[in-house]
Amino acid sequence: MEVISVIPRRLDVINKYKEQGGYVAAVLPIHYPRALLRAFNVLPVEVWGPPRVDTSHGATHLQPYICSIVHNTLSFLQMGGLDITDVIIIPHACDSLQGLGSVLLDFVPPDKPIVPIYLPRGRRESDIVFLTREFYAIYQRLEAITGRAPSDADLMKSIRREEGADEVLIKLHQSHSCLPLTDIAFYRLIRSREYLPAETFIELAQAVLAKDIKKPRDGIPILLSGIVPEPMSLLEAISEMGAMVVADDLACCGRRLYPPGRSGDPLRRMAERIIYAPPDPTRGNPIRERREHLLRLIENSGAKGVVFYDVKFCEPELFDLPTLRCELQKAKVPSVTVEVDINDPLSHQTLTRIEAFLEILNERR
Amino acid sequence: MSGIKALGIDVGSTTVKIVGVDTEGKMCWHILEQAEPRVEDQVERFLDHTRQVVGTLDRIPLVATGYGRGLVEQATRSVTEITCHAKGVYREFGHGGTLVDIGGQDSKVIGISPEGKVLDFVMNDKCAAGTGRFLENTASRLKVPLDRMGDEALSVVEEVPISSTCTVFAESEVISLIAHGVPVASILRGLHRSLIKRTVAMIRTVGIVPPLMLSGGVVLNPAICRLLEEETGEKVVLPRYPQLMGAHGAALFALEILNDGSQVS
Ligand code: SF4
Repeated sequence: MEVISVIPRRLDVINKYKEQGGYVAAVLPIHYPRALLRAFNVLPVEVWGPPRVDTSHGATHLQPYICSIVHNTLSFLQMGGLDITDVIIIPHACDSLQGLGSVLLDFVPPDKPIVPIYLPRGRRESDIVFLTREFYAIYQRLEAITGRAPSDADLMKSIRREEGADEVLIKLHQSHSCLPLTDIAFYRLIRSREYLPAETFIELAQAVLAKDIKKPRDGIPILLSGIVPEPMSLLEAISEMGAMVVADDLACCGRRLYPPGRSGDPLRRMAERIIYAPPDPTRGNPIRERREHLLRLIENSGAKGVVFYDVKFCEPELFDLPTLRCELQKAKVPSVTVEVDINDPLSHQTLTRIEAFLEILNERR
Repeated sequence: MSGIKALGIDVGSTTVKIVGVDTEGKMCWHILEQAEPRVEDQVERFLDHTRQVVGTLDRIPLVATGYGRGLVEQATRSVTEITCHAKGVYREFGHGGTLVDIGGQDSKVIGISPEGKVLDFVMNDKCAAGTGRFLENTASRLKVPLDRMGDEALSVVEEVPISSTCTVFAESEVISLIAHGVPVASILRGLHRSLIKRTVAMIRTVGIVPPLMLSGGVVLNPAICRLLEEETGEKVVLPRYPQLMGAHGAALFALEILNDGSQVS
């Protein structure tokens, strides 16, 4: 199924949205309230780097041990890559993104507003209250930027639309190994949620889900964890090596399968959705929760091992890894770690690590 | 030599090795050469040479491993160097443990189960500082022949810590130490220590399961083995042909193909 050819291109989506009178926000990783932005007619377009940009611009302001996603974002911005957007949203997922927020606010201010989001680290009632207040502050910023003031009913409508999109996203993940899509086509579709309006994404996803379910694909089933599958050709390489991704715990994908909220208060409901999403080190979820989540994914998907595909210098990920891998080992789940820079092409070394890991899994079959 | 039943070729970044095994999997023949820029030509030459020894390669499966395994078109199959090293070393020792392979341009640590299976591994191939190249570069600065480095380093007790984590910067540090009149042997001992500390960090990532087994070209240097024992407190065992473990493992996989009767042209 040629799903890739029908996914609208990012730039076309942005232009169309603006032509219709909307605003566009450049949103940095990882968690943010999509519904809140859309209620102000602001389309969130996520910026995960992007990969392969000339990083010499950003390097002037950032230390070499800052991850390539942050380096690339700053360079991309300085090269005019975000000129088309109206506002930049920076969730404080990690120290590096927080640092980028400071650099932009204090040293290289762009000609557009910067809206930081402070994310709490936990799942306590106080965390929900904090995040709800934080969203109210963002509401006020967006009100000042757009001149709009959506009502509670408007906010709820927007939330329902995003919840609908996330519901089909979850269905796609659940049916992943039976869908008539290669891994790369599947993840192109999933990642189109990073910039498509929810309603467009729902249409595309439902068309895929409506196709006849084929018998499960063949290959060594693996779980892919980490930040972002870049370069995307990684997924083709994994297929060529005789494996298939049957589940993921990627920051850009599986960790953002937000459950529906419960509250009737729109801002609180948005907060609940993020707080109760699958565990993520950038939201301070303990390793125990991550372990349980991974084991559940493995059990449900039949994955035989975990590939941690991480961005170099990503502190939240790398701090957890030794303990997490040790815990998985205790549960007899093999894993491997690969660290990449999102500017590098897929290297021989990366492929050898994955291939050697697949050989281990194959021996155990 | 008619005893060769299967072949393994290890195309590394510094050396290329080919090993032949008999029906029992015993290594009965090998060639080892420095890697040439045109790997395909070198492999072809190796195979021509092998043909002269065995007559025909028609029913002899070949498994390729190592950095350049994808370039060996003649191979029946390719297997990564991780799996092949584990296989070769297990065949040699008959037990599991932790294999440390320090090659010219990369190093790896492989945890091997009592049954010879790979449990976990870690590789360093991005930075020369944890590899033989680290010693090679600085040795040339110190004008000490490579095969004398280890003995020189072990000839003294005093060692000078080398603080640079990068091979290129270590070279500059060495130059400055020489200029300050520091004895060459003490610098060499410090350089070996630095390489070993980096290796030990990799070993700890995988977790030490004794015994420690050492392979790779750098093993021929006695200071590596001694300092590794000092740093880990573990006895280190060495294979008879430390540079051929990957190729031997590949040949053993080739033998399995032969025994399965599959895909041999
Ligand atoms: S890759 Fe890690 S360090 Fe970089 S922005 Fe993402 S969470 Fe932060």
